[in-house]
Amino acid sequence: MALIAQLLLPFFGGFAALLAARTGRDRERWVAIAAMAATLAALAAGVALGDDGRWLAFYRADWAPSFGIQVLLAMDGLTAAMLAISSGLGIISVFISWHVTHRSALFHAAICWTVAAANGVFLSFDLLIFAFFWELMIVPAFLLIALWGHGDREAAAIKFLVFNAVAGLGLLAAVFWMGATSDPVTFDAFALAETEYSETAQILLLLGFALAFMVKLPVPPFHAWLPDAHTQAPTAGSILLAGLLLKTGAYGLFRFPPMLFPDALMALAGWGMALGAFGVVYGGILACGQTDAKRLVAYTSVAHMSIVLMGVCGGVHFALIGAGVEMIAHAFSSSALFLLIGALQHRTGTRDLRELGGLQKTAPAFATSFALFFAAALAMPGTANFLGEALVITGMFQVNWVFAAIALVSLVVSVVYATRLIGGIAFGAPKPAVENAPDLHRYELWPIAILGLCALVFGLFPQLLIGWLWTAVEAALQPLIVVQP
Amino acid sequence: MTGAALLSLGPLALTGVAGIAAMAMAPVAPLRAIRGTTATLMAAALALVALRAGAAPAPAYALLADDALARLGAALALLAGLGILAFVRDEDGAREGPALVALATSGGVALAGATNGAALILGLEITTLAMVALTLMPRSAPAAEAGYKLFLMGGVSAATLLLGAAFAFAGSGSLALADWGGSGGLAAVGGALLLAGLAFKFSLAPFHMWVPDLFSGAPASASALAGALSKVATGVALLRLAEVAPGGAVWALGLGAAGAAAALLGNIVAIRQESLARMLGYSTIAHSGYLAMILAAGGPLAGEATLVYLAAYAPAVVAALCVASALGGVSRTELRGLVRRQPLAGFALGLALLSMVGLPPAVGFIGKVYLFSALAAAEAWALLAAAAVGAAVAFYYYLRFGIAALAAPEGEETAPAPALSVGARLTLAVAVALIVLPGLYPEPLLALAGAAAP
Repeated sequence: MALIAQLLLPFFGGFAALLAARTGRDRERWVAIAAMAATLAALAAGVALGDDGRWLAFYRADWAPSFGIQVLLAMDGLTAAMLAISSGLGIISVFISWHVTHRSALFHAAICWTVAAANGVFLSFDLLIFAFFWELMIVPAFLLIALWGHGDREAAAIKFLVFNAVAGLGLLAAVFWMGATSDPVTFDAFALAETEYSETAQILLLLGFALAFMVKLPVPPFHAWLPDAHTQAPTAGSILLAGLLLKTGAYGLFRFPPMLFPDALMALAGWGMALGAFGVVYGGILACGQTDAKRLVAYTSVAHMSIVLMGVCGGVHFALIGAGVEMIAHAFSSSALFLLIGALQHRTGTRDLRELGGLQKTAPAFATSFALFFAAALAMPGTANFLGEALVITGMFQVNWVFAAIALVSLVVSVVYATRLIGGIAFGAPKPAVENAPDLHRYELWPIAILGLCALVFGLFPQLLIGWLWTAVEAALQPLIVVQP
Repeated sequence: MTGAALLSLGPLALTGVAGIAAMAMAPVAPLRAIRGTTATLMAAALALVALRAGAAPAPAYALLADDALARLGAALALLAGLGILAFVRDEDGAREGPALVALATSGGVALAGATNGAALILGLEITTLAMVALTLMPRSAPAAEAGYKLFLMGGVSAATLLLGAAFAFAGSGSLALADWGGSGGLAAVGGALLLAGLAFKFSLAPFHMWVPDLFSGAPASASALAGALSKVATGVALLRLAEVAPGGAVWALGLGAAGAAAALLGNIVAIRQESLARMLGYSTIAHSGYLAMILAAGGPLAGEATLVYLAAYAPAVVAALCVASALGGVSRTELRGLVRRQPLAGFALGLALLSMVGLPPAVGFIGKVYLFSALAAAEAWALLAAAAVGAAVAFYYYLRFGIAALAAPEGEETAPAPALSVGARLTLAVAVALIVLPGLYPEPLLALAGAAAP
């Protein structure tokens, strides 16, 4: 029941928000918040009442028996963490969008639907339903960018949609092939994991899945949509993109390739790690060259998510745990950074680092928050991001020290862009744009405080997070160990 | 003639009566009354089909079958016909529109049940002729061009079909479609000619040239006859023919090639279209291409996939053309702000385009699931690749139009809100329901298609 609620509450919450907007001012905001808060409560109940075994909760029902499609939902610690992030970021997105008044009802409905679809991605183990939610997720996010974005928003939204939907075709083709060749037709991932595919078939299927995941992550050369989408998206859109949509790519990569195609994954692991190492360096270097703060953070996302790819392809304990930790840590740090930059843009009308500066003097809490999350983004020890990256790099040393060395060197690059950003925004004499910027509003302060707390607590007490992810890591690792020489 | 036979032929007869009644009323009654009478009779036909949905298939008559496939095809044709009826207009004072739609629908119902070459050709020609007449009604230069092209090429295709049927008859000694599967020279020639004729009706490349002109020049109701009604009915007829594949390898190869060409060409040319109607014209070519590829590939899922895809596509195209009809010939930029001026039209168009591009929660996603699954199950890798390329291209142009309809208008709102009649509102509401509900819970549709698939 708790699992179904994760899908239905935000889905119908979106419709309720649409209707509620007619009854009075700001109603749609509170309805959206209530729907997602109820989703969180249902999640908490589900976790509290959860079983001890492989899954905290499990649900199976027929959806379209004529074609063997089931609603097959399962939650372990990793899923629960992603679901909490999903609804939590949804609530935060509503709070920091209080200034959005243009077609506010549809805006809040789109936030709810994005959360609902992402929850579907995190929970589904029927591959067809997984693909359904995977494609569904694109639609409200597309609307968020296209209708409430900045500048050339429609072109950016279409670029986002075309990249993700075309990559989704890879996933769809792979899923449909697996389903259509199974007898009787089933899309049950657990059943399909038992199927023996030929080596070529496994590799082709893996490439289909990986295409969708790597575009969503995104890993170069599939990242071209991300800087534009982030730059043009409204703040809430950027938060959901960075904190949620990118994580669905990471989650998919973590969950399905090791489970379904362990042989192919290990056969292509070297390429995956190489691509990840390239992404880390490439994203970092490009981030250094940006003057637009949002674009800068967008490129750092490329670098950090490439670390997740390295971790999954590493196929050893350390690397996989690191990948899991990194994707959760990055959800906190990147969404907080986009929140802060959005708030800054709202105050000053610019994101250009050359026009910003001196925020430390005019808005100290603002500047300090920036500093905290950039410390997290450059993986300062004490933050969860450090834990993630350190674990992945440790794992890399067990597998291939060249990739580990590249990832280590790239950490130096992250210091360059972090100081550039923090120096450009916080330090120096206040520039004209910043002079009258008010400090953080309480609606902005508490989301920042929560995200900051998460980044620090999980960084200082890593066992909290690692223990939580353990079953998922074990399950991902098991088939890989069998395959490894 | 027994009572059972009367019931079997009831839907066809009622639709025909609707056409004749509308024709008789045209000179004297106002359009509202004609439309109401026609719609009532056609709705009765639809109700009769629905009531008999679970009945055992009637014994085969000489020309028409009354099995699950015929009933599903008839229901889809009648639904499309009823939807189109809502946006038929009186062009230059002529009020024959409803009569022509009803006649075309009767042709579609006949096609859905056609098990015989004669019924096949009759059904196709009734539909095409009604389409030609409806196209010519506005008496404008673009309509005349569209109608002329349609008539000329339709005539050639009718001749080709007749010749094909003659060869198939010569080869098999029978006019029953089920007997046309023989091999040999006569059958091969017959199969090729039949395919060429049907490819025209089904707007497959390279016989598609009339479609974009029809969509941009003719009234939207005539385009909808081609895009929804004729497509569903011809699709069912093709499904019956594909069972026997007249001409053997020629059939599958030709259909696959024409389908792949249509899917690629339709989608790629559609990218450059700025007029909503012309874009829909190229898109309908592409969707025909997907259907033809499913039929050509065969395999275990082909029947179900064809029917699901038809049922997914028809409401989308009817809704889109209903909006296009209310707006007149609009370009993409003129669509801007539609959702503000006319929310129902804006959302229905957005949803229809979402369904055509195959994204959830629209039923088009289920259609795409079946398209890809059928091609994968038949291991038709080349066709699967063509479908994937076409589908990839499609994301771009549909969403450009979709976002224009949903976006806020730029600058001053100048365009007046389009007037939507009650019938058009009802059509849009039903179409939206038929797009969203099976998209979220497809089981009833899949069960119907599964039972009807030959």
